[in-house]
Amino acid sequence: MKITLDNTAIDLTPTGKSYRATMGDKTVDVEILGTQDGKLDLLIDGERITAYVSSENAKRWVTIHGRTVLLTKRSGSRKSGQGPHHAAGELAAPMPGQVRAVNVSEGDTVTKGQTLMVLEAMKMEIRIQSPSDGTVNKLFVKQGQTVEREQMLIEIVDRLES
Amino acid sequence: MFKKILIANRGEIAIRIMRACRELGIRAVAVYSDADKHSAHAQFADEAIHIGPASPKESYLNADVLIRAAITSQADAIHPGYGFLSENASFAAAVDSAKLTFIGPSADSIRAMGDKAESKIAMKKAGVPTVPGKEGLESFAEFEKAANEIGYPILVKASAGGGGKGMRIVWDANDLPEEIDSARREALHAFGDERLLIEKYIADAHHIEFQVFGDKHGHLVHLFERECSVQRRHQKIIEETPSPLLTPKLRKQMGEAAVKAAKAVNYYNAGTIEFIFNPSDSSFYFLEMNTRLQVEHPVTELTTGLDLVQWQIRVAAGEHFPYQQGQLTQRGHAIECRIYAEDPANGFLPSTGVLLQYIEPRGPGIRVDSGFRAGDTVTHFYDPMLAKLIVYAENRGTAIQKMQAALRDFVVHGVVTNIDFLQDVLAHENFKDGKVSTRWVEMNMESGGSSRSQGVLPKERQQAVGFHTLIAAALADFTIANRKSEIINEHDPYSPWKNPNGFRN
Repeated sequence: MKITLDNTAIDLTPTGKSYRATMGDKTVDVEILGTQDGKLDLLIDGERITAYVSSENAKRWVTIHGRTVLLTKRSGSRKSGQGPHHAAGELAAPMPGQVRAVNVSEGDTVTKGQTLMVLEAMKMEIRIQSPSDGTVNKLFVKQGQTVEREQMLIEIVDRLES
Repeated sequence: MFKKILIANRGEIAIRIMRACRELGIRAVAVYSDADKHSAHAQFADEAIHIGPASPKESYLNADVLIRAAITSQADAIHPGYGFLSENASFAAAVDSAKLTFIGPSADSIRAMGDKAESKIAMKKAGVPTVPGKEGLESFAEFEKAANEIGYPILVKASAGGGGKGMRIVWDANDLPEEIDSARREALHAFGDERLLIEKYIADAHHIEFQVFGDKHGHLVHLFERECSVQRRHQKIIEETPSPLLTPKLRKQMGEAAVKAAKAVNYYNAGTIEFIFNPSDSSFYFLEMNTRLQVEHPVTELTTGLDLVQWQIRVAAGEHFPYQQGQLTQRGHAIECRIYAEDPANGFLPSTGVLLQYIEPRGPGIRVDSGFRAGDTVTHFYDPMLAKLIVYAENRGTAIQKMQAALRDFVVHGVVTNIDFLQDVLAHENFKDGKVSTRWVEMNMESGGSSRSQGVLPKERQQAVGFHTLIAAALADFTIANRKSEIINEHDPYSPWKNPNGFRN
């Protein structure tokens, strides 16, 4: 998985129980020891690092060792050529995991950024948020269900269309 | 003793006062504006009363509404905190007229110290040193003569002035005519009043203030000094006590002058005498008196062992302040850092937003006075101070170390803060040497974080931190929804999803 933050591209490859992170000519092993509400306990190349990370649209606030950095995620050059396509309001699981909570029902009105459901994966909570104001047209999963990557979770219809 | 106190303020100071009320068994009434309905201070109180729109003028500065709220809630007294109406003599008088107790000095004391020119005259009369200067000058010859008597550099100031308008530093007699003309023009333009006064200019001045405390029975003492020279835009950001510049002898002299100054206006309750201190010859001059509780009162509390807010309430209720000057001592060293939502790299402009994360440091000797929680919104309506971080340790060196460690554990996301900037100041040699004057930030750190990279972290370490930061941000990105991840690990033999047992253990 490649992510570009500010002007630096970083590549994360799962290697079993940990990840290989590559940035330029540097490569390190990263293990997630624990996560909790925006706090990541990491083992990076044998060094224990606690990072606090918050997301706000494309902004990423990261604090390590008391220094806070504000990064901007670039919605990069990658084209969705590979992988299944979904309609604009269809949300798919970003990675395999388990549905921990479903906060909405079919027919509910939702607002942009509202947390629709929570997945748990790799000891992390993934909040599935509504991309726009709209209505829940279809729920494809139930609480407790295990989902695969790219599996459809929920369909949101924009308010204008409904 | 009072049964119920209305706190005519908001944020951290309102909570600080409510804690004292609670400890004394007094009910605390909060007031809140539209913008503060969900604020921590309104939630912390025993009761909360809505007082109007977000704009301070229509809420926290609205004396009538505040007094009415106190009467409606059947409070016996009003604590004004700092800022807002705390130094407004008419408000103090109006509180008295409403048969409520104003927790602070008398309206007369506030009035006497409120006018800068008049208070200076009163201080001179009381024998308190004031900055050498001359007022009521007209012809250029008079200015020239006075400037020569005082000695250069001198400061030319608008009599009606404030905010640096019509203010000029004159280093040399040759520049005097031109600077007077231009200061006059500026003063006339800004205040409609071209009168100027001149004062001795103290180039590397420190700001050293003395806490005074008195009861309503004529007993008044000082509670030692606070060094508040680390300032940006004339606002304090780091305060400490004891001052690294004072000797026991100087401390005694200044303390006595502070007591004299306060007694000259029949002062009672908590107050602060601010001095300009010239480190080159250890001379000190009365600058002004703050007739209220100060933001930085915690450093005095930690080193004297007194709870100033509790005592404010007790003496307002008529109790005697029981300690004589000789019984009071300073112990250890305390430093306060003001955590502001502001961007040092961008002229210290306030930063607003939602606090995505807000984690305060903890540990022995660490105190945090704050009015925010995670999820709160920092608005542009009010002061951008998020919290005060105060540490207490045996001596100055260990206190600095403790502050550095505590700042490292302070996490704020969602608004830009001055935390990194404070770290840079604390790590600076000048600060360690106690050589920071009131203009130091302006002269040394003006571009905010520009000096950050030097000497704080070695280059290699910085790069490592950069890489770690990127890794953390990328990993956490999984938690952002609606993004089609390109991660492929279905065939991961170690996948926790393939483990039927509780993988989280």
